[in-house]
Amino acid sequence: MLSAPYAGKLLADAGAAVVKLESPAGDAARRYGPWPGDVPHPERSGLFLYLNSGKLGITANLETPTGRSILRRLAADSDVLVHNAPPSAMERLGLDYDALAEANPGLVMASISPYGLSGPWRDYRAYDINLAAAGGINEGLGEPEREPLTFGTPAVGYFAGMAAASSIVMALLGRERHGGQHIDIAEAETMAGLYNGPEALMAVYQWRVTRRTGHHALDFPYPNCILRCKDGYVFIGAPEGRQWRRLLEIMGMPDWSQEPRLRNRTTMNNLYADEVDAYLEAWLADYTKAELLEIALEHRIPLAPVRTFDEVRNDPSLADLFVEIERADTGPVSYPGVPYRLADTDAAAPAPAPTLGQHNREVLCDRLGYTGAELVKLYQTGII
Amino acid sequence: MTASDANSNGDGVPSGGAGALSGCRVLDFGWVLAGAIPGMALADMGAEVIKIETRQRLDYMRLGRPIVGDQPDPEQNPMFHNVNRNKLSVTLNIAEPAAVALAKRLAAHCDVVIENFSPGVMERLGLDYATLRAIKPDIVMASISSTGQDGPLRDLRAYAPSIGALSGLDSTMGYEGGRPLGFKHAFGDICGALHAVFAIAAALYHRNRTGQGQYIDASMLRATVATQGIGLMEQALTGRALQPQGNYDPTLAPYGHYPCAGDDQWVSIAVATPDEWRGLVTAMGSPAWADDDRFRSQYRRQRHRKELDELLAGWTSQQDAAAVTALLQTHGVAAAPVLSAEERLFHPHFIERGLYSDIDHPALGAEPIFNLMWGLSKTPSTVRRPAPLLGEHNRQILCGTLGLSEDELAQLVEQQVVY
Repeated sequence: MLSAPYAGKLLADAGAAVVKLESPAGDAARRYGPWPGDVPHPERSGLFLYLNSGKLGITANLETPTGRSILRRLAADSDVLVHNAPPSAMERLGLDYDALAEANPGLVMASISPYGLSGPWRDYRAYDINLAAAGGINEGLGEPEREPLTFGTPAVGYFAGMAAASSIVMALLGRERHGGQHIDIAEAETMAGLYNGPEALMAVYQWRVTRRTGHHALDFPYPNCILRCKDGYVFIGAPEGRQWRRLLEIMGMPDWSQEPRLRNRTTMNNLYADEVDAYLEAWLADYTKAELLEIALEHRIPLAPVRTFDEVRNDPSLADLFVEIERADTGPVSYPGVPYRLADTDAAAPAPAPTLGQHNREVLCDRLGYTGAELVKLYQTGII
Repeated sequence: MTASDANSNGDGVPSGGAGALSGCRVLDFGWVLAGAIPGMALADMGAEVIKIETRQRLDYMRLGRPIVGDQPDPEQNPMFHNVNRNKLSVTLNIAEPAAVALAKRLAAHCDVVIENFSPGVMERLGLDYATLRAIKPDIVMASISSTGQDGPLRDLRAYAPSIGALSGLDSTMGYEGGRPLGFKHAFGDICGALHAVFAIAAALYHRNRTGQGQYIDASMLRATVATQGIGLMEQALTGRALQPQGNYDPTLAPYGHYPCAGDDQWVSIAVATPDEWRGLVTAMGSPAWADDDRFRSQYRRQRHRKELDELLAGWTSQQDAAAVTALLQTHGVAAAPVLSAEERLFHPHFIERGLYSDIDHPALGAEPIFNLMWGLSKTPSTVRRPAPLLGEHNRQILCGTLGLSEDELAQLVEQQVVY
């Protein structure tokens, strides 16, 4: 769905030859969407296409012995295997690390699971909202009188994918000395550890309990919030005193800013945020997001428009991030490309994501040595 | 080839650990959060990471929150200790040309250089990639920034919430029909830093095969945008820009946070398959409403999800969040409490897995360290030493690695070059 495919995408973008193995029913991301013109089609799901561009695609039904033998033969012939099947599933199928490493001691295998390969929650099921809840993302999001919120679209899997891709390459760097390894990545821990470290340390050292504070920051110098402007919303922050003074100057040193009770900005945030929001929004109402970005650049103040996805796409500073990928059943579509830049390396557009089983012949026959007749039989019997 | 096999430094083995990156040496100008994390990850994996910092302009994180004691103390910040564990500290006041010269000499002994100053600063100091490559041709250099090393947003003052706003991340975070609320955490910093870790590792792999170094321009904005694939593809394929929809997933229902017994306690529940729905209904004791036509298929549950949410909340509000999580999981339903910071720190699962370790820091005593978000079976990450005191390793590195005499070092300290 998300985590292992993102790891594979990072590796493919960096030049690895990645084979994506799906069940004959296809990756669940094929049924997630979005689709061109809102016409659902397993070959046109935006999430699937994004996460799997640049990969070869094969199918194998791992519930059958022959399907499992395809995976074993591929694993014996690969440097890396990354997956996000539940921990018990790979053991049940005899496809766990110990079994696969026996045939290929140099194999680096990364197992991504909701809570990891050990511990009392090992076999707990989870979707993105559960991982974000257990990982500490959600306790501070939302209005105090309403339910806590989570990410607007699934996000935890991206962090698990980043962790997998990074640790896989580290294991490859150490492979000559240490051989292959098994990597254990718990999606919840990508959130509950370092990501939410500041919250945890504030609890330990300053006895601060995280609370939901709507669009305001918790116990932080005002402003650090999203406010309404002429044509949308803008993030406005000023952690440094000089940034706040500059902002007040631009606003013409309004009277309210001179009131003694609004001198301490943390007090302002904690006690008077709604009141000051109204003052600031009255000023912001005269400016568009684009104008505020200009003001931010000119005066070096941390203002940042809350951009919708069409605006993100049209940002000239991201022009070379997006790549156009042509695929028979969608036509040309602009995708987000490699998420970092390398000097002297032009990021060529990757090949489009594979159709279901598109490279069965190429991988199974040309690489693993199945004959054409065997390939046909594998298809006819529902294995691929 | 391993990192150490390709290490061509002439000064013996770097004093890192025994991990996968043992033998690799890193010159780390990274500071605050996003800049410190890549060096931390490499150090945890066994690299020798030399943190360059200065009293002239302290790493903000040494003075940031949480504040232990009555006022900030540069040796007592537990978050600084977290993202700088395993590193060595050398104080170089790089406003001084003599300090820049020392940094260049150090670069000659390093495999990787990391920095996250404002774009253009390294060039102004004479420590840019072109210069360093002339000193060490196969150097891998990573510059981490908010919005990239060039382009119209290069000089924007931007913090983690700015990246949330600019990337589209914030545009979907809020209640249905409501204003975007924004995130409270450093999504952009962590996301940018982890992509930089990947790019550095991949560049070392490439170097080991080809002998070529690399320059990496890692921006938090670009990295965060990459995690917004659903929203960006929605825009590309349908022309729609997603708006806040509360706790919503197009394929799942129920999908949300449901109130539990006690003050502000919540459980997250998500259901996709018929099996999961049957598990939920059984766990609830098969109430009559669950049989209602409105909830008979995933499609109908999705269509009537608001009524479903209300009925489900009626049941959860009588339950304890931890107990109902365990109950639902025994019925194969994805559930987890909305855990607080304290609950996470003392959670038996995370404790058993060693997500946190307690280490002793000379200035702060026992403190929690968040371990890396991956576990390697043969070369696990290790905390070999607590975060360094300011300049703790000046002698070890400047005299040991660079071969300065004690007198030379004393003089540089006197001149506040080593400062």
